Amino acid sequence: MSPSDVFTGFLHVPWGDYAGNIGWGLARTLAYTVASFLGAAVLGLLLALMRLNRLRLVRLPAALYTEVFKNVPLLAIIFVTYFGLPSVGIKLSVFAAGVLSLVLFYAAYLSEIFRAAIAGIHSGQNEAAQALGLGRGTTFGHVVLPQALRLALPGTNTMFVDLLKSTSLLVTISAAELMTQAQLIASETFRALEVYLVIAAIYFAVCYPVSQSLLWLERTIQAGVPLSRGRRRRLRLARTLLAGETP
Amino acid sequence: MTQHAVNVEAATARPAVTIRGLRKSFDGRQVLGGIDLDVPGGRIVSIIGQSGGGKTTLMRCVNLLEQPDDGVIEVNGEAICAGGAVTCKDLARLRQRVGMVFQRFNLFPHLTAVENVVLAQMHAAGIGEREAVERAVRLLTRVGLAHRATAYPERMSGGEQQRVAIARALALGPTVLLFDEPTSALDPESTGEVLRVMRELAADGMTMILVTHELPFAREVSDWVVFIDGGKIIEQGAAADVLDRPREARTRAYVAKYAASG
Repeated sequence: MSPSDVFTGFLHVPWGDYAGNIGWGLARTLAYTVASFLGAAVLGLLLALMRLNRLRLVRLPAALYTEVFKNVPLLAIIFVTYFGLPSVGIKLSVFAAGVLSLVLFYAAYLSEIFRAAIAGIHSGQNEAAQALGLGRGTTFGHVVLPQALRLALPGTNTMFVDLLKSTSLLVTISAAELMTQAQLIASETFRALEVYLVIAAIYFAVCYPVSQSLLWLERTIQAGVPLSRGRRRRLRLARTLLAGETP
Repeated sequence: MTQHAVNVEAATARPAVTIRGLRKSFDGRQVLGGIDLDVPGGRIVSIIGQSGGGKTTLMRCVNLLEQPDDGVIEVNGEAICAGGAVTCKDLARLRQRVGMVFQRFNLFPHLTAVENVVLAQMHAAGIGEREAVERAVRLLTRVGLAHRATAYPERMSGGEQQRVAIARALALGPTVLLFDEPTSALDPESTGEVLRVMRELAADGMTMILVTHELPFAREVSDWVVFIDGGKIIEQGAAADVLDRPREARTRAYVAKYAASG
């Protein structure tokens, strides 16, 4: 098959008939990505905080978790949760099993990124907050976390795009996401090359803008543009007051 | 004006900070071995001495960033700790009354100058947003930084950062301010600016305790100088007496060393 055959081959796939499949697959892929990322971020933060705890008893389980899930293939986790757990009476839906697998796997990586970010905040920041009478919760929420998020952003962004691509592994449990739809279309049209090229291009078309906008977000925060409404309001108020005092 | 003068008079009448028998050890190593000190209201007291001599630890006990092992500290007549236990019921309130300015400023780098001054007002003192911002702008104007109010700390010089740190501490309305080596990270010009701000605060009746190695600065700014060595007060007195006519041999050696190197 020559390259020009590949090109005409695209025309032999009735794309119009499969637009619905592809659209649905894309929606499922995004649903898996968002649900899994939120879960992984929450669990990852919890694990990071546990690993920074003073008590060894708290640190140890979190460290153990991270090491286990960092060193096991994602596919093995997917198979254990979907095919393995039913034999001990835990029967999860495809969506639940898929999300759980991705959460378990990516929480381990995110916890490493978050831990490094929180540990990277200078101890003087905590002291300054303490000396100003700020409580522990407020100090974490208003002083440590905003700074840690800035440090964690680049690594977290990479993980987000990686997670989106890894949802394609859920094809093995027929998750109805983009890759599963691709497999279906390819088997019906016998045009594997063309179909998988198109699906790969769709992954790219989604991932590239996402990673670029996350980079933009990084640069915006780095440039000191306040993102929260409260901060913008306070800065506006300060500017108004200053303009009034120095005409 | 008259009202103000009366307040200063009242403040100077009794000690703002009283320390009796203060002891503190770290991992079995004694850092403070029984300190007695009175800091009268409205005065600037410099604590000088070798590194590791306990002067920073002494100051950090006054706002309970360090918890003493023994002894009593009173702030404005109220005991905040006694016999190794914290007796101050409201730490947040203590830290509103006793402000602190750090050697490395420790400003919050993710917030602009004005937001640095606003944060604790809103989240520690429960002041409303509008009032907090108004007060922050007023204080930044007072320390000569109105034009830098919406700048981030990393874009500011050391002296500017130090003045934001002072405004941040002042925002909670303290009666006592603690300065940990306020000029060691500053160039001479910035030191002059910080000196000016401290003198204005002194004129308003603020009690200030500072730890410093810079004897010329201590001479310029303080009313009273305390020399600490080995966790004990070796000598104290008016700035000119201690720095120019030290009585104790150890004070003489220290003053000679730092006068030569400074």
